[in-house]
Amino acid sequence: MLRYIIKRLLFVIPTFLGVSLITFALIQLAPGSPVAYKLRGEGGAMRANFETEKIIEQTKALYGLDKPIIVQYLLWLRRIITLDFGKSFKDQRFVMEKIWETLPITLQFTILETFLIYLIAIPIGAYSAVRSRSFLDQLITIILFLLYSLPSFWVAMLLIMFLGGGDWWNLFPVNGINSIDAYAYPWWKWLLDRLWHIVLPLFCMTYGGLAGLSRYMRTGMLDVIKQDYIRTARAYGLSEKMIVFKYAMRNSLIPIVTIFGGLLPGLISGSVIIETIFSIPGMGRLGFEAVLSRDYPLIMGIFTISTFLTLFGLIINDILYALVDPRIRLE
Amino acid sequence: MKVIKIKTVIIGVLIPLVLLFSCANINLDLVNSSQVELSGVGLSEFGVDVSPEQGDWLIMRLSAEMPHLNPLTSTDAYSSLVNSWLFDSLLDRNPATLELEPRVAHKWEVSDDHLIYTFYLRDDVLFSDGHPLTARDVKFTFDKLMDPLTDAPHLKNYFIDVERCEVVDDYTVKYYCKKPYYQHPVMLGLLEIIPEHIYGKGDFNNHPNNRKPIGSGPYMLSEWQTGLQLVLKRNPYYWRKNEKMPHFDRIVYQVILDDNASLLKLRRGELDALTIRPEDLLRRVNSEKFRNQFNIFIYPRPAYSYIGWNMRRKVFSDSRVRKALTMLLNRRKIVEKVYYGMAEIIESPFMPNTPEYHSGLSIIPFSPDGAKKLLEEAGWLDSDRDGIRDKDGEKFYFEVMTTNANPVAEKILTIFQEDLARVGIVMQIRLLEWASLLERVDSRNFDAVLMGWQMPPDPDPYQVWHSSQSEKGSNFVGFVNKEADELIENGRVCFDREERIRLYRRFQEIVYEEQPYTFLFAPKAILVVDKRVHGIRIYPFGVYEREWFVPKSLQKYTYSDD
Repeated sequence: MLRYIIKRLLFVIPTFLGVSLITFALIQLAPGSPVAYKLRGEGGAMRANFETEKIIEQTKALYGLDKPIIVQYLLWLRRIITLDFGKSFKDQRFVMEKIWETLPITLQFTILETFLIYLIAIPIGAYSAVRSRSFLDQLITIILFLLYSLPSFWVAMLLIMFLGGGDWWNLFPVNGINSIDAYAYPWWKWLLDRLWHIVLPLFCMTYGGLAGLSRYMRTGMLDVIKQDYIRTARAYGLSEKMIVFKYAMRNSLIPIVTIFGGLLPGLISGSVIIETIFSIPGMGRLGFEAVLSRDYPLIMGIFTISTFLTLFGLIINDILYALVDPRIRLE
Repeated sequence: MKVIKIKTVIIGVLIPLVLLFSCANINLDLVNSSQVELSGVGLSEFGVDVSPEQGDWLIMRLSAEMPHLNPLTSTDAYSSLVNSWLFDSLLDRNPATLELEPRVAHKWEVSDDHLIYTFYLRDDVLFSDGHPLTARDVKFTFDKLMDPLTDAPHLKNYFIDVERCEVVDDYTVKYYCKKPYYQHPVMLGLLEIIPEHIYGKGDFNNHPNNRKPIGSGPYMLSEWQTGLQLVLKRNPYYWRKNEKMPHFDRIVYQVILDDNASLLKLRRGELDALTIRPEDLLRRVNSEKFRNQFNIFIYPRPAYSYIGWNMRRKVFSDSRVRKALTMLLNRRKIVEKVYYGMAEIIESPFMPNTPEYHSGLSIIPFSPDGAKKLLEEAGWLDSDRDGIRDKDGEKFYFEVMTTNANPVAEKILTIFQEDLARVGIVMQIRLLEWASLLERVDSRNFDAVLMGWQMPPDPDPYQVWHSSQSEKGSNFVGFVNKEADELIENGRVCFDREERIRLYRRFQEIVYEEQPYTFLFAPKAILVVDKRVHGIRIYPFGVYEREWFVPKSLQKYTYSDD
């Protein structure tokens, strides 16, 4: 096991080099240049400008874009070994500083979201499997499909319209993650204020995943319930509770648990749409805006972190497999 | 138990569906009934006959947060909005006459050859940390801007013909220019001054004070809660303090990205002023409560949209074809259906309702028959009877590109596409994201493009229309006209506005004849302001928040620390 883990960890290095080289080349080859973007400003209307070659060259040199791509890549590689991700083109602030600012906000959402999804999806899925084809199971199926197909931006709009104090109820705030004067609150009031602010966005982020995961759970559980050993357990006259929770549930959790490793990279990516609608300064928006403005250092910074998380997620996946299923051996 | 659960679940699903339908109905009703009502909306001024008083707060929205506040390195419109409260420039522009007026410089002189500008500074201007503003700060600002290590390409561009800045004494500064240019006093005069003792040390591009700006403007930054809000308080050292300036105790900018959410906050009384979309106005304008709570101002925005024809392409090389295309665009219908009347049709690149705009140019009407005639004259006939016009074996087919960030552009093009198809022209719409669109335009790799330009108060057609800019500059449609070149060049060195207007009138006639662009619209801004805010005037280039105030009896927020 230990040998296996070390081997896998060593494989991370060449994988990372390959993936980062491809990404580095890809974002530079994509049409659009950060210098042209900066010169022209953002949005639909442009300012007229003199296109002076001298200033373009100066800015390229300032951004380090005057060298061939492969040299730029090697320089970038040398810097990230010392964990220096460089400075954002947009405002010349350190990439890590910008990521650190937004990461906790996104993490708080994604962790809560994951927790809620598992907490609700597992019982729902298990229930629909045990009472498979009952009226309630079918009703749950319909509702989950409905939820799954409702686009989250639309649901967010409805929530804002009806619960955000327009012409209907004024129950929840519609922007930001804290009240304006929250910094002066005692900690418990601050926490309540934060929770109150994140109810709507959290709901929008959760319901889709909830629908998906509970389907996994239902299918997994159905498979297990049909197994011979469950029939044997029934034949032995064990109580239904015992069968479901002790024998069926544990085995049907295997696929669910192992999905967990794959969720790791998703934890930092955040939701662009929901973050924008509710004015939440998170990673989703940071990454999206970085791509739009061709902010290469920031794109590479976010990319590096999510590559590592993906690679480690895969390793954790394998380890989890071995832990929950004794039949699997890692060699 | 079970039954009750099922019921609540079903209701839970049904409610959103019902609401969805009711929303759709509300929209339709309002669009139909409000067209007439709208004529009564839109003030040109409010509360201007009351004398200004100090106090109260002004809370406004920022639709995106700026990364930092530095007059030199900030590139976005939001930071220039906030910076204008925090920093002073040598001169000021009178919003009504658009003429330059004294600000930090109480007097200025121009040499006869228009190459040397001398500014005489007031000696009582202090930065918000109490340090005096001197000529050295002015020189520092200019030198820092032109430093190759400073990340400010967007601004440097405008100063390439300024050679150097010289400190004569503590309160006198001289600028030397390489060429005479009528915009030099504007650019030099309106450059915001940053203090050398703060920004002179450390890494300028990533300066710690980019998040704690220090200037000599009427306000200073009190706090900046990232992603939430910026609060500005009075600058205790402001040099016009004794003139009871500025009016508000606090200026607050709240960061709210979503349009619907900000409208909601406005209606809850949490915002004092907001620019809203035409459809939002239609939905609210008939509400008694809304009209009692707010004043509504409608005025032209200093920007216009256009479709640029790449004149290097064979299809667009003939001015008759370009004119025919303009005649096929039903601009009146678009103003009505897409903008709900909140836009003005234009025929030239200058700001409508200013003296520079040639009002004698009649609007080219929508006329498919007239367009057909012009197309036939130009040789575009449907010779193989397949429903698509052709000439010398080439079909009339082209691609128009625009940004995917603007749903209005897509709507305009869809209407255009249908009308073109009726006369046998195939247009493909292609939506690109902004950076890719710029790339295509810069490499001249496009047929036609729908984009926009901002219109500054001092127009100079050089960058967009001069033939020298056709290879690499902003003249990406490739408009080359000798007479227009001459007019543009003369305009740049003409220091008399009346004379310049005369030159620009002739220039506009040429552009009108040639139709390198099909000019579209100057959209209007719809500004909704809380009724307690007085002193609002509409100027040719919008509103001027520095004049706004709230009379003592109506003040809402009383907290202030001075």
